[in-house]
Amino acid sequence: MTTGDTAPRDADEQTAADTATDGGATAFADELAAGGHADADVDTAADSAGATVTATRSALRQTVRGTVEVAAREYRVAVRRRWAIGVAVLFALFSTALVFLGGSDVGPQRVGAVLASFAQVGVYVVPLAALAAGYDAIVGADESGSLEMLLALPLSNTAVVVGKFLGRAVAVGGGMLVGFAVGGALLVRYAGVGVIGTYAWITLAAVAAAMAFLGVSVLASALATEKTRALGAALAAWVWFVLVHDLVVLGAVASFDLPQWVVGAAVLANPADLFRVLVLRVVPTTAGGIAGVLTAADLTMTMLLGALAVWVVVPVAGAVLALNRRSV
Amino acid sequence: MSDPTINVRNARKSYGTVTALDGASLRVDRGETLGLVGRNGAGKTTLFKLLVGHETPDAGDVTVAGLSPEAGTALRERVGYLPESAGFPPSLTGREVLSFHARVREVAKDNRARRVERVLRTVGLADAADRAVGGYSNGMNRRLGLATALVGDPEVLLLDEPTAGLDPAGVADFHAVVDALATETDVSILVTSHVLPEIERLCDRVAVLEGGTISVAGGVDDLRQSVAETVSVDATLASDPTDVAADIRDRAGVESLEVDGHRLRVECTRDATFDVLDDLRAAGVETFEVTEPGLDAVFREQIAAGPASHDSASGDAAADGGERA
Repeated sequence: MTTGDTAPRDADEQTAADTATDGGATAFADELAAGGHADADVDTAADSAGATVTATRSALRQTVRGTVEVAAREYRVAVRRRWAIGVAVLFALFSTALVFLGGSDVGPQRVGAVLASFAQVGVYVVPLAALAAGYDAIVGADESGSLEMLLALPLSNTAVVVGKFLGRAVAVGGGMLVGFAVGGALLVRYAGVGVIGTYAWITLAAVAAAMAFLGVSVLASALATEKTRALGAALAAWVWFVLVHDLVVLGAVASFDLPQWVVGAAVLANPADLFRVLVLRVVPTTAGGIAGVLTAADLTMTMLLGALAVWVVVPVAGAVLALNRRSV
Repeated sequence: MSDPTINVRNARKSYGTVTALDGASLRVDRGETLGLVGRNGAGKTTLFKLLVGHETPDAGDVTVAGLSPEAGTALRERVGYLPESAGFPPSLTGREVLSFHARVREVAKDNRARRVERVLRTVGLADAADRAVGGYSNGMNRRLGLATALVGDPEVLLLDEPTAGLDPAGVADFHAVVDALATETDVSILVTSHVLPEIERLCDRVAVLEGGTISVAGGVDDLRQSVAETVSVDATLASDPTDVAADIRDRAGVESLEVDGHRLRVECTRDATFDVLDDLRAAGVETFEVTEPGLDAVFREQIAAGPASHDSASGDAAADGGERA
């Protein structure tokens, strides 16, 4: 209903609710009857440009409102399913383990190596956690019947997909921040407060990369016809981005005299590599192997961050299109 | 006559080479309850997708509360829809689910909690409202689905197999809610069900969807009477029924007669029913019961007739401005 429709109806409804005493089906029917209904007047509204602008704003407002509602519900479900706690525990263990394994004698001399380890090991863990958190977002809801209930509401497909993504993103991102904070506290104890800035950058880069992989898994979820297929697609994405892609790039670099822009394109084409390069660019250490190749790519920080943003937006937009084509 | 709340005229919809709707036409007036029956694959799901704005017709016109399917979310603001396979996140409580639906449907904040509570009581879930939905029975899930359809104050209620999985008490409770809505509000209700007695119980009119078209439609009683089926008369007499049995057996239209002590069971055509009852009354009948054919007979007849016989009953009639479902 439009806002204008709702106000008088709710006033009547309030009166009916106040006076009803039996609480049964008849009383509720009375309440509905008292409410009445708005007349369909969209044709009239469309007659003037001003009304069209108003309708567009109203539609946008409704989409934003719907997105927020879906996101809030998705976040609540994620928390109830203990994803957020699980992610927090995972990254607390991950970060504290790296700090400990980096050596209890972490100090200014070795802190760079410890921080670099976040990139080298995080590139495996961050995508896995994010892909696992998103693969059932759409297809799982479809299988349980809750997607059909959502689509029966006055929600656009954009609101449904973006809301589901945002709700899970907050749960996963929040869990990661908490988990990294645990390791960060330990690192500060060993290395001093001077490391906070770099560590915070690494943490935010990890969260940004997780958002990209979450977007990829939501896309896989919207495309898949069964939850098991979505899980398979998410695992295949992990294998490609984390293992195979870098092997292909390393092989190509070793075999051919590739121009620098090809290496740069390879980095931009992989959110895991974007995370790795974002971290290694700010860590005072020298990386070898594929990491060394990738960090040498001629890419600015702006390009790296922009590419990560694209890796978030494009898969989610693709998921919206996939839902439009999906038979629910 | 006022504009119908649901108005479908010659709707056609195909998916590739599969024709889901082939000129279906029906109307549901304000405050009316229409039952839609048909075999699996007859086109009911596609029709519902058009009515909630998830699909648009390839041809023909569809309007719900004055809006076409292209209106999408604006249309769904006016429609309460209970899908056949409704599900909810198991970790949420019934109240949380319903509050979410109320917020999305923009029920005013100061009245939202009260309205949610009222709807929960209406569907009989008030005591279970704060339990996780994952612990609900199938019947409780269906009632929660009905609650989500009602909470937004809909103009149109679409109920797809609404009592599937409900126990008898749940079915009765559900029927009571629909009865109250049908008799005391102007909500237009479209119900599908494979339980034909339920359609007879709930609906003012019924339409049979077969092969993507509405093959027959009309008032429940009219349709039942249109079926040339045998009527059963069961009677108990105070005296020996041998003589009256002989008289009845000789009457035209009587197809069979069984005598069991003082009880008779006669199967006859509808036209012969009154003659049989007259004979029984003259013989001193103590009790009798006439069993008429139900909607299942109408349904069987339409299925047996096949899609080829349906054109004149739906699409063509609508195109000519004739009576539609």
